[in-house]
Amino acid sequence: MSITRRATLAGAAFAAAAAGLPGLGRAQGRQVVVGTWGGDYGELLRQNIDLPLVQPQGIEVLQDVAVADPRKAKMLAERQARRGSLDVSCLSDTDMHMMNQQSTLDTINFGRLSRAGAIVPTLRKPYAIPHIYSTLVLLYNPDKVTTPPTGYADMLDPKYRGRIGFSDILYSTNTFAAAMAGGGTFSDYSPARRTLMELRSLDAKIYPSNEALATALKGEEVWMTPMWLARGYMWQKAGIPLRHVVPKEGVYAILFEAAIPRNARNKDNAYAYLDAMLKPEAQIAFADRMGYLPTVTDARLPAEIAGAISLSEADQARLRSPDYDYLLRSHAEILDFWNKQFKG
Amino acid sequence: MAALVLPAGILVALLLVAPMVLLFRISLNEFSPTQMMVEATTAANYLRAVGDPYYRSVLLTTLAVALGSTLLALTLGFPAAYWLARMQSRWKSLATIVVLFPLLVGNVVRAAGWLALLGNGGAINATLLGIGVIAAPLPLIYNTGAVVAGIVAVVLPYMVLTLAAVIEGIPRQVEEAASNMGAKPFTVFRRVVLPLALPGVAAGSVLVFVLCMNTYATAVLLGGPRFKMMAPAVYDQFVRGNNWPFGAALAFILLTITLVLTVFGSAALGRRYRRRLAEETT
Repeated sequence: MSITRRATLAGAAFAAAAAGLPGLGRAQGRQVVVGTWGGDYGELLRQNIDLPLVQPQGIEVLQDVAVADPRKAKMLAERQARRGSLDVSCLSDTDMHMMNQQSTLDTINFGRLSRAGAIVPTLRKPYAIPHIYSTLVLLYNPDKVTTPPTGYADMLDPKYRGRIGFSDILYSTNTFAAAMAGGGTFSDYSPARRTLMELRSLDAKIYPSNEALATALKGEEVWMTPMWLARGYMWQKAGIPLRHVVPKEGVYAILFEAAIPRNARNKDNAYAYLDAMLKPEAQIAFADRMGYLPTVTDARLPAEIAGAISLSEADQARLRSPDYDYLLRSHAEILDFWNKQFKG
Repeated sequence: MAALVLPAGILVALLLVAPMVLLFRISLNEFSPTQMMVEATTAANYLRAVGDPYYRSVLLTTLAVALGSTLLALTLGFPAAYWLARMQSRWKSLATIVVLFPLLVGNVVRAAGWLALLGNGGAINATLLGIGVIAAPLPLIYNTGAVVAGIVAVVLPYMVLTLAAVIEGIPRQVEEAASNMGAKPFTVFRRVVLPLALPGVAAGSVLVFVLCMNTYATAVLLGGPRFKMMAPAVYDQFVRGNNWPFGAALAFILLTITLVLTVFGSAALGRRYRRRLAEETT
């Protein structure tokens, strides 16, 4: 019997596959792939969850870093696949609701989470755990805006011509703020059509990212913007002259959540990861560095931080989640108006 | 010999043709905010893109920026390519590497550098404000000029290298003969070098035009949120709006227009070159 070159190569390939596959299986068994934002959020996950809480359990954490939109597109593209590339997906509540509507998420078995009992009950969803939350406020420069604003409608005051700034990526919440300024509600953004055009005629500025807006606020190019309280807290810590006001028209909550895609490969590890995200020490770290409030009842914040990022009792009582169904139905229309009319 | 094309052909078929076929199928579907996409066979997405004045203006901006950038790259690139092609010193390799140098830096990194230079708080404005020449920062970015300048910086090496390769093939004696017969340098360029370099002009322009039409990072970073070209508009529909059918239709419109213009453009230049060649030889 002669051994041909082709047979040798085939045999070698088979041997390599046989040797490599169990190793691959073992490696995946110890991994959890977390789809997350980069920057501070990713870094805080790494420092306070991945390294101290998950890695000691023998689970290797791999971060799949990107802003939300491409990660959503990836989840949608993979939804028919038997095995997806993510085990945990971190998104905002609105995005997560959209992903759930598109059948990309598993229903969470809260019995598998040792920390489930500590979750603030109103923040819990069947398809996601709440991670951190904040609220939409109006940030302003106290040196330039000497009479503190009271609500979103103050953005329309002609004395702030050219001094209102918007972050382009927050088009949905910017539209919400404009809608509320014009008498809209959580379920009706239509007044924004008028107020956004009014803001446009008042020469409102649009910046491509939150970071570009921060630079403009620091340079006093613009004086006022609708923004997350947590972001405002970070910017104030960075030395940007800012104060915030909780707008009288309504208190909009932003909640960041984590969920397990239906086609996740390592679901056991994903549950371990979600559990770690709910640990008080991890939640306090996010509050300290990023200004987001804990979503568990037993995370005690230092008084100084709590004072800077918490809402008053009255405002807390007014806090509302967005109308997810309305946003799902109107999202394309909101984006279209923002792009074509307001920016166009 | 034809088998040599096979590996590349298979790769292109798998990674380009198959996704394009899929994308075309998606472009015929209907968008649904709740289900994302409903299977259908409709031209509605194409009709909407063509009928909507906003997308028409995005397309016109894209065409204007791409044509302007290609012409500018050609105007700036031709003298540099000529110099490089006729260079006989031992520094020629180094000069070629210098031309290639901008390609060593990624588009995003390059645009970030431009932001640091041209932004309101950037080096130029900070210097001018510092020495009191201006009272307020000059609007150097977030406008068409910044985008065109950024694109030309990206595509210039492609133009220069394509032209240089063709100019190198034009015998120097042809130019000398023209000069000996009394032609002035500009006449030599217009009547001899340029006509013979037409294949290079066509190849370089097509390559650069295609790159310009598909500009994404430079348009987003230097054009700012209000500046819209087709590639960012396609991205917007796919990724921000989750409207894959409409995004796919926009992508196919961009592809078709780019393809038609490049095929017609290079065919026209090719005809002209052949006609000129025929005239010279008769």
